Amino acid sequence: MMSTAPLRANPHELPNPAKRDFLTSALRVNQAGELAATLIYKGQTPPIVSSHPHLRPLMKHMYDQEASHFSTFNALMAKHRIRPTAMYPLWTLAASALGWGTAIMGREAAMACTEAVETEIGGHYNGQVRVLLEMAEQMEKNGEDIGPELKQLISTIRRIRDEELEHLDHAVVNDAKQAVPHELLTGVIRAGCRGAIWISERV
Amino acid sequence: LLPRLRPLSKSTAVSLLRPYHSYDHPPPPGPFTLTESTILSAAIPHIPSHGFTHTALSLGATDVGYIDASTNLFPNGAFSLVHYHLYTQRLALAKNEHILSPVLKGGEKPLGVGGKVKALTWERLMANREVIHRWQEALALMAQPSHLPTALSELSSLSDEIWFLSGDTSVDTSWYTKRASLSAIYAATELFMTTDKSPNFHDTREFLDRRFMDVQIVGGTMGSMAQWAGFTGRAGLNILRSKGVRI
Repeated sequence: MMSTAPLRANPHELPNPAKRDFLTSALRVNQAGELAATLIYKGQTPPIVSSHPHLRPLMKHMYDQEASHFSTFNALMAKHRIRPTAMYPLWTLAASALGWGTAIMGREAAMACTEAVETEIGGHYNGQVRVLLEMAEQMEKNGEDIGPELKQLISTIRRIRDEELEHLDHAVVNDAKQAVPHELLTGVIRAGCRGAIWISERV
Repeated sequence: LLPRLRPLSKSTAVSLLRPYHSYDHPPPPGPFTLTESTILSAAIPHIPSHGFTHTALSLGATDVGYIDASTNLFPNGAFSLVHYHLYTQRLALAKNEHILSPVLKGGEKPLGVGGKVKALTWERLMANREVIHRWQEALALMAQPSHLPTALSELSSLSDEIWFLSGDTSVDTSWYTKRASLSAIYAATELFMTTDKSPNFHDTREFLDRRFMDVQIVGGTMGSMAQWAGFTGRAGLNILRSKGVRI
């Protein structure tokens, strides 16, 4: 027998399974994204740094930031008991291959890969922040308490979005647009990112 | 944008499986309504004598003042009893203070995650001791195709609950392997326990310990092999790099 929907007696309940599902899939995708980002940078660093040693500090800085994002999302996933994506091993392989492959193609290609990934990720986080803010607004209008968790989540994702967009700027400054098959490369990588995001939300 | 907030999960049963666990807000309501819970909790004490049957359900209904026909509230019949038992015993695991937050006397080492998993699994098995002589009926009910998804989802939720309560924070592929192996261990041991007549379920305890040991050995071996392969691969790559190959 289906349980009846909860009455509005408890104003502090996070209503609507859709909201819980959104938070679950959002955090799952974010963790998968940061996993991919750390692996891309890890794969790109040795070939890039061996031919362009002056890029070592930049690559280290970007990697360190991604690693901290990754551990932030790992902690959130464990805390909120969210299942990680089943595609974890596949994304590990794909991201390592992508990072290493674009680095072999050259510095500009590696930067173009970073540009493509960070553009997609930046837009993705932006969209999440928008949805979360709308959720918060709706809850406030209904007189419900948002709770510190949601507020914290919104500010965390905003900060991470800003850092990702900073990486995008670094990539563009470092001649990402100079990569030889620029449109093709960024187009394929962006499409791959969108597909991976779609899959990770569900699986 | 808000229309995008469609629940990704379709059926109610599955959507309750792993909701986002909020610390600010209470969890979503369980699979049983208040009336159902009242009748079922009154029926549970009748299980040892009447088994997981319709009789136990009607006795429970009459105990709390409902008429016999109230059992029509349960289209799944006796399976609702099984489901309720699984559900309540799973939630009761969090109350094991002596395992989860023990008061340590001087010199006692705290249980690690593995120790807590073993202890909680044993507690859950022992929670079946009152009804174990009827458990094969319950297993038969769970094996029915219409009830199997619910039964499996309760098993996986149990496994998740035990790992979470024990303090596991892994969120990579091992999240899956840990829960899958624990589900298999628990299911096998529970089945063994239905035929165990030893005092205090001593044989079941040993069975459980052997299963955990198996998983530890296999896991350890796989881990070592993976570690060796990783080291060899990375060493080979670094040798090539030191020879000047631009990879």
